[in-house]
Amino acid sequence: MTLWLIFAVMTGAAVLAVLWPLRTGAALAGADERQADLAVYRDQLDEIERDRSAGLIGAREGEAARTEIARRMLRAADEGRGTVATASDRRRRIAAVVALVGVPAIAGGLYVGLGSPDLPGQPLSARLSADPATADIAVLVRRVESHLEANPDDGRGYEVVAPIYYRVGRLEDAVRAWETAIRLLGPSAPRETGLGEAETALAGGVVTADAQKAFERALALDPTSVKANYYLGLGAAQDGRRQDAIDRWSRLVAGAPADAPWLPMVKAALDRLASTDAEAPAGQPPAATPPAGAPPAAAGASAPPAPGPDAADVANAAAMTPEQRAAMVRGMVERLATRLQANGDDLEGWLRLVRAWNVLGEPEKAKAAAGDARRAFTADPAATQRIDALTQELGLGS
Amino acid sequence: MIPETGHYALVLALAVALLQTVLPIWGARANDAALMRVGPTLAVAFAGFVSLSFAALVAAYVQSDFSVLNVYQNSHSDMPLLYKVTSTWGNHEGSMLLWVLVLALFGAMVALFGTNLPARLKANVLGVQGSIGVAFLLFILLTSNPFLRVSPAPVEGQDLNPILQDIGLAVHPPLLYLGYVGFSITFAFAVAALLDGRIDAAWARWVRPWALAAWAFLTVGIAMGSYWAYYELGWGGWWFWDPVENASLMPWFAGTALIHSAVVMEKRDALKVWTVLLAILAFSLSLLGTFLVRSGVLTSVHAFATDPRRGVFILAILVAFIGGSLFLFALRAPLLRQGGIFAPVSREGALVLNNLLLTAAAAAVFVGTLYPLALEAWNGAKITVGPPYFNLTVGALMLPVVAVMPFGPLLAWKRGDIAGVAQRLMLACGLAIVIGLGVAYAEHGGPALAPVGVGLAAFVMLGAVADLAERAGVGRVPAATAWARLRGLPRAAFGTALAHAGIGICLLGIVAETSWSSERIAGIQPGGTISVGRYELTLERMEPRTGPNYRDVAGVFRIREGGVERGTVTSSKRLFLARNMPTTEAGIRTFGFGQLYVSLGDELANGGIGIRAYWKPLVTLIWLGAVVMALGGVLSLSDRRLRVGAPRPAKARRVPAPSPAE
Amino acid sequence: MTRKSRRLLLISCALGVLGIAAGLVLFALSDTIVFFRSPSDIAAQHPAPGTRLRLGGLVKAGSVDRQDGTHVRFVVTDGGADVPVSYVGILPDLFREGQGVVAEGTLEPDGGFRADTVLAKHDEKYMPKEVVEALKKQGVWQEGEGGVPARATPPATPPAVPGPTSSAQ
Repeated sequence: MTLWLIFAVMTGAAVLAVLWPLRTGAALAGADERQADLAVYRDQLDEIERDRSAGLIGAREGEAARTEIARRMLRAADEGRGTVATASDRRRRIAAVVALVGVPAIAGGLYVGLGSPDLPGQPLSARLSADPATADIAVLVRRVESHLEANPDDGRGYEVVAPIYYRVGRLEDAVRAWETAIRLLGPSAPRETGLGEAETALAGGVVTADAQKAFERALALDPTSVKANYYLGLGAAQDGRRQDAIDRWSRLVAGAPADAPWLPMVKAALDRLASTDAEAPAGQPPAATPPAGAPPAAAGASAPPAPGPDAADVANAAAMTPEQRAAMVRGMVERLATRLQANGDDLEGWLRLVRAWNVLGEPEKAKAAAGDARRAFTADPAATQRIDALTQELGLGS
Repeated sequence: MIPETGHYALVLALAVALLQTVLPIWGARANDAALMRVGPTLAVAFAGFVSLSFAALVAAYVQSDFSVLNVYQNSHSDMPLLYKVTSTWGNHEGSMLLWVLVLALFGAMVALFGTNLPARLKANVLGVQGSIGVAFLLFILLTSNPFLRVSPAPVEGQDLNPILQDIGLAVHPPLLYLGYVGFSITFAFAVAALLDGRIDAAWARWVRPWALAAWAFLTVGIAMGSYWAYYELGWGGWWFWDPVENASLMPWFAGTALIHSAVVMEKRDALKVWTVLLAILAFSLSLLGTFLVRSGVLTSVHAFATDPRRGVFILAILVAFIGGSLFLFALRAPLLRQGGIFAPVSREGALVLNNLLLTAAAAAVFVGTLYPLALEAWNGAKITVGPPYFNLTVGALMLPVVAVMPFGPLLAWKRGDIAGVAQRLMLACGLAIVIGLGVAYAEHGGPALAPVGVGLAAFVMLGAVADLAERAGVGRVPAATAWARLRGLPRAAFGTALAHAGIGICLLGIVAETSWSSERIAGIQPGGTISVGRYELTLERMEPRTGPNYRDVAGVFRIREGGVERGTVTSSKRLFLARNMPTTEAGIRTFGFGQLYVSLGDELANGGIGIRAYWKPLVTLIWLGAVVMALGGVLSLSDRRLRVGAPRPAKARRVPAPSPAE
Repeated sequence: MTRKSRRLLLISCALGVLGIAAGLVLFALSDTIVFFRSPSDIAAQHPAPGTRLRLGGLVKAGSVDRQDGTHVRFVVTDGGADVPVSYVGILPDLFREGQGVVAEGTLEPDGGFRADTVLAKHDEKYMPKEVVEALKKQGVWQEGEGGVPARATPPATPPAVPGPTSSAQ
């Protein structure tokens, strides 16, 4: 509202700039032409006089120059274009109408086409100090970052920001943040699993030697860590130690409370691993959970990954070249997209799809998926909000 | 709110500029006082809205409001405040807004200070000025809008190109634009006169202050750009004949010719058609420069981004204004009455020669700059016209200009006495020859042309002094009288002398730099020493440092001259973090008018570093000379007779006296 | 002299000066222009040694050999052909392997190129225009790539979250 008021005042000022000088009885802006010309010539005469008295020009040359200027003066006086006609009321009215109609029409019309009146200004300092409840994740991250710049020894800060980095795909930063947190706060099971998870995602889903060590350290601190066990099993499967993987995952399933939310997922992974037994050539290393399929880590440090690629895919993928693996990942994402097109009420699926396209470097498809998701959940404000939050986080807006 | 207010102000400025184009010119045609009165208020309103818009963009930059796309793309919250402000115009959109801002401010100045201009001329001038505003505002709003928004806003910007993160960005573009766009006023005066179909000696008087102001700004703007490139790019060169530099040099040549031919027109009512043509050309070349830089036809540090739509749009503006004004010129010029006559040897004759050579130089630069583009468009061949071409052509054309320069001011109007003038310059000429011979003796073995150049530079400087002495009557009248006369000389006389002396100073710097620079390129270890010129540089240490948005490694060198300690100089390699882009910050120490210049190269495998060191004698004179030239222009501008709006008619208010006693 | 003859004199003087200027321009142009050539052009046309050229292309990865800090050898390639370049001096800041470069200098009899000037980009986003076109011709460049073939363009629409910050931190 204030904005439109400001616009109105500005428009008024512009119109006034035309109407004010049009009022009757105003003085003419600018000099009478004959007077203006004559003043210049008079000044030139003075100058010649000065030059002559300084001896710069002789008396005869001075006289010739005087004559020349005098001739110009006569001509200027002669030409009789001294006076300016008075104003006509008709023209004045036309000009006034043009200003009154034209200025708001042109300015308003163009602005409506070009402007974004509903977007407030967003100075960075104000955004950083805004209420955390309303700020977007990127701003929060940024705020923690500037805090950490000032207090580089605040391990808690790194611990808070690390999972967020992981979630938004800044994997290198996530690894660094976990490492710093461990250095400053000392090791703990969630920190070590977080580090291992980030390293795994950074390696394209392969549980690297470093990641493996991290999970083992976590397990030493907390033998019941579900995540560490799951990833160590995954690593074993990738290394071709299938039996080891099956053992680990089976123990996990056996020791789980019946209502554990991750239980069906691990079971499924286990089944798939067991069922590929026959088909897959022994010793074939499985692989890549792409970051796209990576679990929403912030949900809880001990939650195992959401169902990603099935174990058969994983098993096959490890033997592939990077190109083939990328094609497989893409295939999975496309299958997910097809499934959601057919049956659109899986919110988590949609969110994963959006994230997956984004990670695959296809922001357009991610945006399209987000749009489809919004349409699928138009009636569900909570779901819409989560979709919006995700697009915001991934920078897919606009 | 701030960005949207700025956006609306810009849109409103377009509406105002449209009215400013239509109403005053209509008024002038209809001889309607009321309509003509609208011109000045609209010009002021136009300047007000554009200023508001510009201020809003600056505010968005200062606040790091990344919801503005332009800010996001060209700023970073870690940048120091100064660079946040300057990055407003360190990009295509913002720099075009600055362009229009300068245009609007010049228009407002004509409106406010031109109270003594004939009403009809003033109305037409403001109308033409408004039409330029319309064209460029449309360009900005439709192809280069700095107020486009992003939602949601990113949290960090992409940073300004590190090369531009320098105080030079605060100085060079605004000054250059004041020069470029300043010629829009002389253009508007020329077109206004053509529209009205009448032009006389008084017109030249009114145009001269604007031409002088624009010329002075352009001179300093070019010089500052040259110095900036010299210290920032780290190659030690001060002029590269880069197409963008050429684009600013062409209007400078035309503008220099214009301020001289306007004198002839004012004093003698001659060269009218030519002066009008020059006024059109100076601005046309400014527009051409804008086109070359902004359309992406050229790749250079100035080409922020390329977008074919922009090129086509600017080309259309270029064609409309240059074509339109030249058409009008062809239509009306034959109707202008011819003025005074003069002998070939006369002040007018000398100025005509000056004009011919300057425009020829502008044409040579024009050909050299555009020939590669034209050739590529024609048969696809890619060529470069490099420094040798420009040095040869411009050098050969400027040599006679410089040699004849001391004669000009001493020649009489209408019919001069060349022998008499030569006699008066005898002393200056003799001294210059002695200096040249002295240099040849002291520096024998150096470039053969260097003593000639120094002698010529000395001749120009001494000639400027001789001109003043002659006017004061030194040697003809008693010393006390001469002193009194000297003090009584109009400031314009001092301005001329100063500007001409500035050319001499600049020439001296150029000759010394090109003839006697020494250069050393070497790889050295910490503790190692190299010598360049009379100096010995010892690399004391390499130290890492951290800036607000960069980290750098600085080499600290101790300077010795013949065993005597002369302080230290620091040169660094800087890495800007946001773009991960390295720059070289040259270390420069000034001794007298010369400079010691050190820049760091790559680190070597053996722990040393490659360095490039120069000793450049008298190099600062190149830029000081330009500043002196511009000061001459300013001094002329401050002359009572030329002061904007002078001569004052009887009804004009007196300037309030400083003492309350009056 | 009459007014008319004076004008004639003036105009002929002017024409004389302009004629000299035009002659100067043509002479200088014929003598000083430098052609731009890609490595493939050189391979195909075999310009005479000693010809002044501007050579443009990419700095071949792994080819830069800094001998003593001031003497540098590298190879300029456009995918179709390679030209070895030697240069004495400090390389520009943005000179990197795999990036665009323009070198000005002369061809040696042995097929090498002795550069006296080496130009890289002014900004990490842009590439010398001639180089882009030369690369397009060789098919190394794909339309739509903003940087060099190896590197993706920064997205036109800004990501809300900057990507992983550079490892330089």
